[in-house]
Amino acid sequence: MTGSGESKYCESCALRDSLVRMGIRVDSFDYVLALMGNPNTGKSTVFNALTGLRQHTGNWTGKTVARMEGAFEFDGRRYKIVDLPGTYSLLSASVDEEVARDFVLFTRPDAVIVVVDATVLERNLNLVLQVLEITDRVVVCLNLMDEAERKGIRVDHRALSRELGVPVVPTAARQGVGLGLLVQTVAELVQGRIRTAPRRVKVDEQVEQALTELVPVLQQAYPDLPNARWVAMRLLDGDYNVRQSLESGELLRLARPDATDAEIQQAREHAPHILAHTATLQRKLEGTFRDRVVESLYAEAEAIARKVVHREGERRWDWEQKLDSLLTSRLWGLPLMALLLMLVLWVTIQGANYISEFLATGLFWVEEQGSRLFTGLGAPGWLTGFLWHGVYRGLAWVVSVMLPPMAIFFPIFTILEDMGYLPRVAFNMDRFFKKAGAHGKQALTMAMGLGCNAAGVVATRIINSPRERLIAILTNNFMPCNGRWPLLITMSMLFVAAAFPPVFAAAAAAGTLLAVMLIGIAVTFIVSAVLSRTILKGEASSFTLELPPYRKPNVLAVLYTSLIDRTMLVLWRAVVMAAPAGGVIWLLANIHLGGQSLSHWISGWLDPLGRAIGLDGVVLLAYIIAIPANEIVVPTIIMTYMGTGMMTELESLNDLRRLLVEGHGWTTLTAINLMLFSLLHNPCSTTILTVWRETKSTKWTWVATLLPLGIAFSLLFVLNTLVRWLGYR
Amino acid sequence: MFEGGLWVLLLFALLLLAPQWGLVPRWRQQRWLRSRDAIEDALMHIHQREHSGQLASVESLAGALNVPARLALALVQRMEGQGLLRTSAGGLTLTPEGHRLAIQVVRAHRLFERYLAYETSVPPQEVHELAHRLEHSVTPQQIEQLDAYMGHPLADPHGDPIPSATGEMPEMEGQSLVDFPIGKPAQIVHVEDEPPQVYAQIVAEGLRPGMVVTVVERSPTRMVLESDTEEHVLAPVVAANITVREAMPRVAAPSGERLGSLEPGEKATVVRVDDACQGLTRRRFLDLGITPGVEIEVVMRSPFGDPVAYRVRDSLIALRREQADWIWVRRNGGGQAMHGEVKSA
Repeated sequence: MTGSGESKYCESCALRDSLVRMGIRVDSFDYVLALMGNPNTGKSTVFNALTGLRQHTGNWTGKTVARMEGAFEFDGRRYKIVDLPGTYSLLSASVDEEVARDFVLFTRPDAVIVVVDATVLERNLNLVLQVLEITDRVVVCLNLMDEAERKGIRVDHRALSRELGVPVVPTAARQGVGLGLLVQTVAELVQGRIRTAPRRVKVDEQVEQALTELVPVLQQAYPDLPNARWVAMRLLDGDYNVRQSLESGELLRLARPDATDAEIQQAREHAPHILAHTATLQRKLEGTFRDRVVESLYAEAEAIARKVVHREGERRWDWEQKLDSLLTSRLWGLPLMALLLMLVLWVTIQGANYISEFLATGLFWVEEQGSRLFTGLGAPGWLTGFLWHGVYRGLAWVVSVMLPPMAIFFPIFTILEDMGYLPRVAFNMDRFFKKAGAHGKQALTMAMGLGCNAAGVVATRIINSPRERLIAILTNNFMPCNGRWPLLITMSMLFVAAAFPPVFAAAAAAGTLLAVMLIGIAVTFIVSAVLSRTILKGEASSFTLELPPYRKPNVLAVLYTSLIDRTMLVLWRAVVMAAPAGGVIWLLANIHLGGQSLSHWISGWLDPLGRAIGLDGVVLLAYIIAIPANEIVVPTIIMTYMGTGMMTELESLNDLRRLLVEGHGWTTLTAINLMLFSLLHNPCSTTILTVWRETKSTKWTWVATLLPLGIAFSLLFVLNTLVRWLGYR
Repeated sequence: MFEGGLWVLLLFALLLLAPQWGLVPRWRQQRWLRSRDAIEDALMHIHQREHSGQLASVESLAGALNVPARLALALVQRMEGQGLLRTSAGGLTLTPEGHRLAIQVVRAHRLFERYLAYETSVPPQEVHELAHRLEHSVTPQQIEQLDAYMGHPLADPHGDPIPSATGEMPEMEGQSLVDFPIGKPAQIVHVEDEPPQVYAQIVAEGLRPGMVVTVVERSPTRMVLESDTEEHVLAPVVAANITVREAMPRVAAPSGERLGSLEPGEKATVVRVDDACQGLTRRRFLDLGITPGVEIEVVMRSPFGDPVAYRVRDSLIALRREQADWIWVRRNGGGQAMHGEVKSA
């Protein structure tokens, strides 16, 4: 935080002392605030600074899809603050925009804070002007003043405030500069000590003519409507929600929040007449209404920006452009990207190894102590077995395998994201994805999938075209997540590397892993292409990709958020999913019927199916049990083969090799089958659940589950039949 | 014994699958007769014929739906029983109820055509087919949602009017291109898609509703039109299938060139977003501030040449080639925009 910045934007920093951050304790409050803004303006940073929460803020568009609530206390008053999705506009009726708009419209917050990026003021003003049409309780938070200063952009906030007719507070939220004044201003506004006179945009003559006809009609039906002009504009634009609220009479609640149901019933009578009037006017405007409105909004934004923004020199894009031309160059763009991805994966796998071992030692030591304690206390053997060797062991296994790679992979990824590099990756790769009918940003959700498919599916939110987003969701599973890496690594070392002289063994194993990943990528592209040409043909589609400015990553904040957020998430998942699975595994191995364990019986029944695809019943059983967590496939296989009562790992690879090859007749083909099955089979239960949550559709959840499974079975069946037919086995 | 068994099997298969009178085809015919598809397609056909002045008959219906006359007759009887149509001396006519339903089907079809053409990336030649399939499987409520989502459009991509929810057809004003005055900008409002041979010629010339053209020459044998990009030569019989009206000033401005044809480093001013670009893409453009008069700079190409990043209103936006081509621009600074010529605002 620079001293000069302090003195410039923070006339009243002392105020911050009276700010009490209340996190998510939002149960009782005196005022409700809404936070709006374009994507990538530091809106979430403002939110976090005010509430003390640690919501992750990516250098992305469309990050905050669900709304987030927090609270703070100032001067003895409690404020609830709602972080609305970042949007460029309120006109194009995307889900984000509807969430944001309906909140402002129907919940009527006491004040709306619009966060704008001082370096791109003109485009941000488009949104501000739209918000000013809906409500006059607005405070503009002119953020990123530090960045503007670096780029030689000076924004006269007083002049801006005069132009807009609402208070404007300059801030640099990442440094915490100006937030005190922001809160102070908001407090004065909600208490009525600041009067606003919001600027309303005049559209061209024909539209104004239509408005002067429609507004009185609306006002006659709803005398108390505070923003009749805006409602009229929305009706002319064909806004479905506004039209609905008119037809249902709910619009009356806008005018009088305390309206009774009977009054609302009455209000419905006005609808046909108003809608008929609207239709006539719409026809006169020939479907160009929205164009005209946006053109006027931008004309106004330009005029304001011309008055208040002053540029010094042309040094603004200098180094950014140089970096861009390197990172997206024909020669260096792709190699740099590949190198970076390899580096990230290498660091993840190597680093995770150490932590994994450390965690495993500790956690299994606890198991030993626990079971010894139970035995010492005289607990029955089955209880000790079920709780410690079943439930606890499953949990410990998953945690020690899954947690470390995630704890390394996600922070690195998030830092790259914060710096603004990832959108450039999407830019570089888009050509391939376009051919498959997909979006360049899918490259990122796929990379995310390498860490965890559920996280990859959540990450598809950044794809703002419905069809391409669905494609990314349905195919994410073809990227092997870290739960599957251990199996792939073990198999490639045991069966492929062993076939080479020791000098090349490591390279062979690495090459096998690369091949598996390439197959995953190939399948992703093929399935994407097929989906986009068949069942997804009729879904809405459009491409735009914003390349945000490079920013210095906030490393500490990233580490904190991605460690705490994701660690908690992973631990929770381990408890909910892996623990019961561990219990089931123990039961299957230890309940005996007719002299054989349940797991033996079931794997026996599954055997013919397993053989058909070149595997066996034990492997299929392990995969069924491992639906909650793929990490436990190998230990379950070993357990069943050895007939032990709990998930087991072997000391050395040689022991494992002997068990598989000599004990159960595995060949290199079996290992290849297993790797392919691991790569292609159905997603884990967390991912399936996430798909459902993201798509809200049973149909797409089924497709996401059964499509990979079907592909895995048919591919392996064909492969193995072919091999058998050619006489190799 | 074996051979006998084979005969029985064959006979059984014949009974089951024989075309026309086999059990399975019969069952399917019965199902078809009762289906929404059959009734709606029939309504459309009869409605179209009424419109063209030559009433539909059982034969024309059979031809249109591609079924045997026997089935078409059964369908007509069925629909007559439902009070949807009447048989008169001249042919088949719709009852008011039938007419109302037919209009709703037309509405659904044209709304879907518009949706598929403008909001999705379905190729133009597949739009009709897909819309035809979708129109039978929607609820009235979904249709209203679609209509509202697109802002109550008045015409489908061919320029055919979309009836309103209450069944009113919007008046399409305009005159035939054949007698439109020379030298005045004209906007195409409708392109007739029958007969297909003539329609194919119009499509091949790249003429479509929304486009602005100017008649530059007219003789009894040929007409010469000028559009933004090229010259079109049409036979008057083809021109007669194009309806135009005087272009409003906002679309009549000369377009310049497509944004996609500019090289990195060049700057240009947006003239307008093409009229044929509607829906989601147009809304995104507007949100990003791509409006007439704004300056746009080509910044860099991606390693494979597509997409290209543009600077608009101080932010960097990547667009794919076909999207950039929707944006009409005029180059700034006589092509020498590479060096300087930067206006500080």
